[in-house]
Amino acid sequence: MSIGTEITGGSAPEPTMEVAIKIWRYDSQTGERALKLYEVEAPEWACLLDVLDIIKDRVDGTLAYRKSCRMMICGSCGMRMDGGAVLACKERMKPIVDRGHVPVISAMGNMPIVKDLVVDMDPFWSKIRAMKPWLQPGYQEPPEREYLASQEQMNPIHKEALCIMCGCCVSECNSMESDPDFLGPAALAKGFRFVGDPRDGADIERLNEYNSEHGIWDCTRCYFCNERCPKGVDPRDAIAKLGAESVRQGIDHDLGAKHAKWFVTSTKTTGWLRETELVPKTQGIVSAIKQTKFALGLARRGKVPLPFPPHVAEEVREARALHDLLKEQNRRGAAGIVQGERGLARIERTDEGGAKRDIAEITPGEEPAAAGS
Amino acid sequence: MEAKHDVLVVGAGCAGMRAAIAAHDIGADVALISKIHPVRSHSGAAEGGINAALGNASEDDPEKHAFDTVKGSDFLGDQDAIEILCEAAPEDVYELERWGAIFSRTEDGRIAQRPFGAAGEPRTAYAADITGHVLVHVLYEQVMKREIPAYEEFFAWQLVIDDGRCQGVIAWDLLNGGLKSLGAKTVILATGGAGRLYSGTTNAYACTGDGMAMALRVGVPLKDMEMMQFHPTTLAPTGVLITEGCRGEGAYLLNSEGKRFLERYAPNAMELASRDVISRAEQTEIDEGRGVDGNVLLDLRHLGADRIHERLHGTRELSMVFAGVDPINEPIPVRPGAHYHMGGVDTDVWGKTSLEGLYAAGECACVSVHGANRLGGNALMETITFGRRAGAHAAEWALANTTVEVPPSVEADAERELRHLLDRADGERPWAIRDELARTMHENFGVFRREQLMRGQGDIVAGLRERYQRVVVDDKGNVFNNDLTQALELGFLLELADCMIVSGLARKESRGAHARPYDFPERDDENYMRHTLVAWADDRPRVDWTPVTVTKWQPQERTY
Ligand SMILES: Cc1cc2nc3c(=O)[nH]c(=O)nc-3n(C[C@H](O)[C@H](O)[C@H](O)COP(=O)(O)OP(=O)(O)OC[C@H]3O[C@@H](n4cnc5c(N)ncnc54)[C@H](O)[C@@H]3O)c2cc1C
Ligand code: SF4
Ligand code: SF4
Ligand code: FES
Repeated sequence: MSIGTEITGGSAPEPTMEVAIKIWRYDSQTGERALKLYEVEAPEWACLLDVLDIIKDRVDGTLAYRKSCRMMICGSCGMRMDGGAVLACKERMKPIVDRGHVPVISAMGNMPIVKDLVVDMDPFWSKIRAMKPWLQPGYQEPPEREYLASQEQMNPIHKEALCIMCGCCVSECNSMESDPDFLGPAALAKGFRFVGDPRDGADIERLNEYNSEHGIWDCTRCYFCNERCPKGVDPRDAIAKLGAESVRQGIDHDLGAKHAKWFVTSTKTTGWLRETELVPKTQGIVSAIKQTKFALGLARRGKVPLPFPPHVAEEVREARALHDLLKEQNRRGAAGIVQGERGLARIERTDEGGAKRDIAEITPGEEPAAAGS
Repeated sequence: MEAKHDVLVVGAGCAGMRAAIAAHDIGADVALISKIHPVRSHSGAAEGGINAALGNASEDDPEKHAFDTVKGSDFLGDQDAIEILCEAAPEDVYELERWGAIFSRTEDGRIAQRPFGAAGEPRTAYAADITGHVLVHVLYEQVMKREIPAYEEFFAWQLVIDDGRCQGVIAWDLLNGGLKSLGAKTVILATGGAGRLYSGTTNAYACTGDGMAMALRVGVPLKDMEMMQFHPTTLAPTGVLITEGCRGEGAYLLNSEGKRFLERYAPNAMELASRDVISRAEQTEIDEGRGVDGNVLLDLRHLGADRIHERLHGTRELSMVFAGVDPINEPIPVRPGAHYHMGGVDTDVWGKTSLEGLYAAGECACVSVHGANRLGGNALMETITFGRRAGAHAAEWALANTTVEVPPSVEADAERELRHLLDRADGERPWAIRDELARTMHENFGVFRREQLMRGQGDIVAGLRERYQRVVVDDKGNVFNNDLTQALELGFLLELADCMIVSGLARKESRGAHARPYDFPERDDENYMRHTLVAWADDRPRVDWTPVTVTKWQPQERTY
C-alpha cells in the first residue's frame, strides 16, 4: 500500500497488452546462435525497448542490449527488427501487436556481434575518426568572440548535425557489405557536416580524402541509409552533396566523379543516359572493352538501347531544362542539391515493379506487401 | 593495476569531457572512463540551451545573470561560485562555438539567445532544440582531436583510497568482463544526476547517481541532497522532457477549464516563472481536480506550424512518438517529473572535495550554483565552466605530485565483494526493488513534502535496502554483463534515497524545490539559509550543516 495516494491521487491501472517477439540470441563465448520466442505483458504505451526491459527483468537477465536516454537522442539502442535497423526506443509495439505480428529482433548488420543485440562499434568509430571530425579553421585568424555566420550559411549542415551515431545506416549499407572499408554513410555525413560548415577551412583536403578509394563514389546509391536513419539525417543526400562539392571544386580524379559528369553531358545532348558510352567515357577504352561482355548481356536483356543512331528522347527540351537546373546546382555545389533524392528513389522502386510503397514508410514489423499488389 | 594516469575523469558527459580537455591542454596524461560511450551521455538530451550573458539579443551582463541565478536558487546558492560561473560563461560559450558548436544564429550572424524561465534577459544560447546534443558532439570531436584515451563501457564502482587520498578507480569492464583497477593521481567525478530515483523522470537509464554514492562511501559528504528539481513539462507516462524552450517561444499552460492557470500563481512572469513555482502550480491544479488525467496542457498551437518546425522540431517528434500528439494541432499533456539534482558531492569553487585527489564537476557535484532551484540553461553552463576548472586544477595538482599506488589488498577486497554478489544463486531479482523505490520516492518525496510521508519513505527505503542484501544477478558471464552493473547501480540509488530523506526531514522550511506547504510553508532564512551536508557513518546517513556564501545579495522575497 502506498502512503502517498492522498496527495498524488491514485491512478487507474494502465491498460496492457500481450506482446510476443523473437530474439536472435548470440553467445560470443560459445559461438551459439538461437532464435528464442518471448511472450510478456506490457503496458500499451510500450516501445520495443520497454519490452526488452520487461524480458530482461522478469524472464532472462542475461539478455544483452544497449540503452540509455530512451528518447531517441543517445544513439545506444540500434538493432534490427524484421531485418531492418531501428532504434528500439522509437518503435511503438501497439500497432504491431494489434496486427498479430511477431517481430524478429536481431543485432545490427555490418558490425561484429558482441552478445545478443550488442555489436562492436569500433569499426564504426574508426571510420568517424578517419574523417578528422573536428573544425579546422585553416589560416583564418580565430575571432575574439564567435565566428560570424548567418543562419542561412549554417542551414546546409542542419540535417547532418542531427546524427546521433546510432549506426542504423551502417547496419543496412549495401556497399559496406561488399567493401567493409567503405567509409560509409554515417562517417560521410559527418564529413559533410564539416565540408558544408562555413567556418571550416579544410574542405579541399577533406574532399580529396573522401574522393579516394572507399570514399564517396563507392556508394551504390541504394538509399537504404536514408530509409533507415531514425533522425532524418539522410546520409545518402550528404554523400550526394559531397559529390557535388567535389565536382564544383574540380576534384574529379575519381571514376565516380567522371561518371557523374558524363551522366550530365549525356542527358543534355540526347535526353537519355547513353549507358553504352558511359563506361568508355569514365573508364577509358581498355577497361570498357573488358566490360563489353557485361554490356552485351545487358543489351540482350533489353536493358541498354543500342548505341547507333543515338536515340533522342522526345522531351529533350525538358531534359535540357533539367540539365540547366543541375548545372545551376553544380555551380552552387552542395547548397544547390535538392533534398529530393529520396523521392526519386521512391519512384525508381515503383518503376522497377517492386514495393508500391517506399520501404521507409513500411512500419518495421509489418509484413512487406507482395510486389505488384 | 591495469593502467596509470595523471588524471582520470569518471564520466564523459559535458562536464567530464570538458574537464579532460582542460587537463590535457595543461599537459597532463588524462583519460576518460564512462559506462556508456561518451556521445551517449545524458548531456546530449539537453534541449533548451545554455546561459551566458553574451548580450546578443539584449543588453545583458554577467551581474544580471548572477542576480537571476541567486534569486532563482532561493538564496541557497553560493554567491562566490555563481559570480565565477556568470563571469566565465561568455568566454566558455565562445570557445565552444569556435570549436565548431552549431548554435542557432541571430540576424547579424551571432549566437542566438532566447528567453528562459526566471531570467531577466533573453540569455539562453541554443541550437534549435538539440543544444545538449550539439555540445556533446563538439566536445567529443575535441576529445578525438586530442586523442584523449577513453575507457568506454567501463563501469566505475569504487574509489581507491590510499594514504589518505584518492588514487584511482576500480571498474567493471563491460565488454570483456572482470574488475580493472585504474590508478590516477587525481580523480574527477563527472557522473551526472540521479533522476532514476523517481518513476517519472526526464533522466536516462544511466542517471543513477554513481559518483555521488562512490564519494559517499569513502566518507566525502554530499550537499543539499533534498533538492531535486521537478520539471514542469514532462510527458506522461515515461517522463520524457518537453523543453522549456517551448515556453520561451511563447507556449501556454492550460488547465482542464482551458485557463492559463499561472495567473493565480505567477501573474507577471506567467509561463516563464521559475520551474519550482510552475511545478507546484501544476501539482496544485492537478490535486484540486483541474487536471486532465493527471496532467495539464501545454499549448503550442498559436505559435504556428512554421515556428514549430523550425525551432521545436525535436519536441514535435518526441510528442508525436511518445504521446501520439502533434503539437501543431493539439496541446501536449504534461506534468511535473524529476529532472535535475541540485545536490551532489560537496566541492569548493575548483571542484575539489574534502578528500585529497578527488574532484567533482557537473550534475553530480554541488558547488553550489543552483542552490534550492536551478534555472533552465544554467546546468549546461555549469558543466562547461566547472568542468574546465576542475580539469585544470586536478591536472596542476597531479603534475606537481608524483606517485600512484593501488594496493593489492584494495583490489582483492573489491574482487571478493563482487564475487559475493555474483555467486549468490537464490534471492530476489533487483527490478521489483528498483521499481518500488522509484514509485514511492515519487509519491512520498515529490513536488510537495510532508513530515509523515517522508518518515514513511525512510522506512520503505530501509526495507528495500534490507531486501537488496539478498539480491541476485541472473547473468554470471563476462561479456556485456549489464545485469551485474544494473544491480550495482541500484545499490547506489538506495543509499542516495536515504541521504535525500534525512536531509529533507532536517530542512524544516519551504525553499525552492523543497516545498512543505502543510507544516513549514515559509522560507526561514534565520535558521535554514545554510546547506545540508550528509555523510555516511555506521551504515546510515548523518546530517550536518554548512553556511551559504553571500557576496553581494541579501535574501529577499522571491516572486515572479
Ligand atoms: C532531458 C534533459 C534536458 C535538459 N536540458 C537542459 C538545458 O536545456 N539546459 C541546461 O543547462 N541543462 C539541461 N539539462 C540538465 C543538464 O543537461 C545536465 O545537468 C548535464 O548535462 C549533466 O551533465 P554531466 O556531464 O554532469 O552528466 P552526464 O551528461 O549525465 O554524464 C554522465 C557521464 O558519467 C558516466 N557515468 C555515470 N556513472 C558512471 C560509472 N559508474 N562509471 C563510469 N561512468 C559513469 C556516464 O556514462 C556519462 O558519460 C537537461 C537535463 C535533462 C535530463
Ligand atoms: S546509399 Fe550508399 S551509403 Fe547509403 S546505404 Fe546505400 S551504399 Fe550505403
Ligand atoms: S546518419 Fe542516421 S542512421 Fe546513421 S548514424 Fe547518424 S543518426 Fe544513425
Ligand atoms: S535509448 Fe537512446 S536512442 Fe534509444
